Amino acid sequence: MNSIYQYFRAIWYGFSSLWKGMMLTGHYLVHPKKILTEQYPENRDTLYIPDRFQGEVVLPHDENNEHLCTGCTICEMNCPNGSIKIITQQVVTPEGKKKKELDKWVYHLGLCTFCGQCIDACPQDAIKMSNAFEHSVYDRKVLTKVLNQPGSKLKSAKK
Amino acid sequence: MSASTIIFYIVSALVLVFGAMSVFTRKIFRAAIYLLFSLIGIAGIYILMNMDFIAALQVLIYVGGIIVLIIFSIFLTHQAGDKLPKPLFKRIVAGASMAAFGLIVVLGVFYKTAFKVTTEAGIDHSARSIGRQMLDYHHHGYVYPFEIVSFLLLAALVGCIVIAVKIQKK
Amino acid sequence: MQLSISLLEITRAIDSWLNSIFHPHVAFGIELVLAGVAVILLVVAMAVLMVYAERKLAGFMQMRLGPMRVGKYGSMQAIADVMKLLLKECLVPTNSDKMMFKLAPFVVTVVSFMTIVPIAFARGIQLWDINIGVFYITAVSSLSVIGILMAGWSSNNKYSLLGAMRSGAQIVSYELSGGLALIVVVMMSGTLSISGIVQAQADGWWVIKGHIPVIIAFVTFIITSTAELNRAPFDLAEAESELTAGYHTEYSGMQFAMFFLSEYTNMFVLSMVAATVFLGGWMPFHIAGLEGFNHFMDYIPGIVWFFGKTFFILFLIVWFRWTFPRLRIDQLLKLEWKYLLPVSIINVLFAAFIALMGWYL
Repeated sequence: MNSIYQYFRAIWYGFSSLWKGMMLTGHYLVHPKKILTEQYPENRDTLYIPDRFQGEVVLPHDENNEHLCTGCTICEMNCPNGSIKIITQQVVTPEGKKKKELDKWVYHLGLCTFCGQCIDACPQDAIKMSNAFEHSVYDRKVLTKVLNQPGSKLKSAKK
Repeated sequence: MSASTIIFYIVSALVLVFGAMSVFTRKIFRAAIYLLFSLIGIAGIYILMNMDFIAALQVLIYVGGIIVLIIFSIFLTHQAGDKLPKPLFKRIVAGASMAAFGLIVVLGVFYKTAFKVTTEAGIDHSARSIGRQMLDYHHHGYVYPFEIVSFLLLAALVGCIVIAVKIQKK
Repeated sequence: MQLSISLLEITRAIDSWLNSIFHPHVAFGIELVLAGVAVILLVVAMAVLMVYAERKLAGFMQMRLGPMRVGKYGSMQAIADVMKLLLKECLVPTNSDKMMFKLAPFVVTVVSFMTIVPIAFARGIQLWDINIGVFYITAVSSLSVIGILMAGWSSNNKYSLLGAMRSGAQIVSYELSGGLALIVVVMMSGTLSISGIVQAQADGWWVIKGHIPVIIAFVTFIITSTAELNRAPFDLAEAESELTAGYHTEYSGMQFAMFFLSEYTNMFVLSMVAATVFLGGWMPFHIAGLEGFNHFMDYIPGIVWFFGKTFFILFLIVWFRWTFPRLRIDQLLKLEWKYLLPVSIINVLFAAFIALMGWYL
C-alpha cells in the first residue's frame, strides 16, 4: 500500500515541480521589463556595467597626483602570467636617506586574465579593478600601459 | 492496361529488386535497408488492394519494429561497417540450389492452382469489421488465435522482465 | 450562416476549372502536384515562422531578447539562416557509407511530409481522408527512426552512432504509450479516420467531453510526442554537451537543413494530431445552450481554429523545451516503462469502461 502511495506521490511531485518551473519561465515571458540583455553598441550612453566587473587594473591617484604604491613588487610576484612589471629606483630623501621608490608601474593588458590576485595581494590597497571594458585598439603596443602618472608621488604616511 | 496494373508491376518490380539486392549486397547494414524498402513495397501492394489497415500494420510492425530491431542488432555486432568476405563457391552452389528448389515448389503450386475470376463484392476491409472479426467467436471469428497470441505475447513480456530484473542480494 | 467564401469552395472552384480545361486524369495529376506544393509551402513557411517564434519565446523566457539584429526585431533571422544553409557546402566524410549518408536526409524528410497527408485543416480541406487516419500517422511516423539510424550509422562517427541509437531506442519505446493515448479517443469516437474524429467532436471537444481518461491521455500524448520529437527535455539523442549534435553531427548545408526541416515538420504534425484528436480539430468551441455564443464562434473560420489550437500545442512544446532540464537515460526509461506505460494501459481500460457505459458528455 505504501509503495502505491509513493508511486502516486512521485507523479504528483513531478508534475508540481515541473509546473513551478513553467510558472517561472511563463512569468518571465509576460514580464518583458525583466529582460537583462544590453543592446550594447546602441545603448552605449546608458550602458550599465556593474562595479564589480573586472575590466582592467588601475592605480588610483588622488587630487595631489599621489598614489599608494610603495613599489614592493608583491603584485608582480603574485601575477600568474607576468602581466605586471614594477620598475623601482633608488632615491635620496631630503633627510639624506636612501630609499626605494616606484618608478614605472608597467601593466601588460594583453597578458592579463583579470583574475584579481594582484589586488588581493597588495598590502597598501594601492591598485583596483575598474569596470572599463572597451579595450580594443589597433596597435598592440598601446596595450602596454604605465599606470603611475608622470610626476606622481607616494602618498606620505598617515598623519 | 489500367493505371493500377502499371503501378502494381512497378511496385512488385521494386519489391523483387530490393529483395534481391538485400540478399546479394555484401554490406550487412545495406542489406537491412534494402529489406526495408522491399517491405515498404509490400505495404504499397496492400494499399493497391484497398487493404489500408493491413498496409499500415505492415509498416508499423515490419518496418517500424522488426527492421529497427535488426538494425539495432547490426549496430551491436563487430565489424558492422566492413564488407563481408566473398562466399565460398560450395555455399553459393548450395544456396542457389535451395533457392531454385523453393522457386520450383512455388511455381508448381502456382501453375496447379486454377485462379477463378470472381464477381463477388470485396470483403469489408474497414478497421471496424477487422476488429469485430478479431473478437468474434461464431463464424469467421478469430477470437481463439487472437487470445492465444495475446497470451503468448504476455508470456514473452513476463519472461523478459524475469530475465532482465536484478535480484538484489541481501 | 457561414462565411460567404470558404476554403472548400475555393478548392472546388479550382477543381471544376481544371476539369473544364484538361482531361480528368491530367486534371487529377495537376491537383496532386498542386496539393504537394501547397503542403511543402505550408510546412516551410510554418518552419521559418516557428524558428523565429521559438527563438524569440526562448529569449523572453530566459530574460533575453532573442534575435534582434537581422531586420526589425530580428524578424529576418530565420530567412538569413536558411540562406546560409543553402549556400553552405554539403560535406561528405571520406570513410562514410556515401550512398546511405546522402539518402538518410531524404528518407527523414519524405517520411515527415507523408504524415501530413491525412490531416484535416478545415471543413473538407484534407488531402486524403483515409479511413485509418490516426493509425496511418502512427505507422508512418515510426519510419522516421530508420532515417535517423541510417544517418547515424553511415556517418562513421561515434557521436552520430550513439545519438542514433539513443534516438531510436527512445522513439521505439515512447511510441507505445503515444499509441495507447490515441486509442483512448479512437475508442470513444469509434473511428480511426481523422474526419470522423473531428465530426465526433461537433458538440464538444474530447478533452472536455471525455473528462478524466482523455485528459490523462492528452497529457501522456504531449509528453510522448515531445519525446518522439527528440526535443528537450528528451534531447539525449543530440545532447550537445555529450554528443556534439547526435545523429546529424556530420551533416552540413542543405542536408542538415533537411533534418532540421523534418524535425520541425514532425513537430507540426504531432501538434496537429494532438489538436485534431483531443482539441477538436477545426471544430469551433461550443457551449451547449448558449446559442448566441455558439453562433459567434461559428463565424471564426475553421482554419483559424485549427491553426490556433496547433500553435497552442506548439507553444506548450516550446515552453517545455526552455524550462525543463534534460533527463538522464535511466530517468528517461523509468518515465516510460514505470510511469507512462502502466498509467496509459490502465487508462485505456478505464476509458473502455467509460465508453462502454456512455459516461462521457
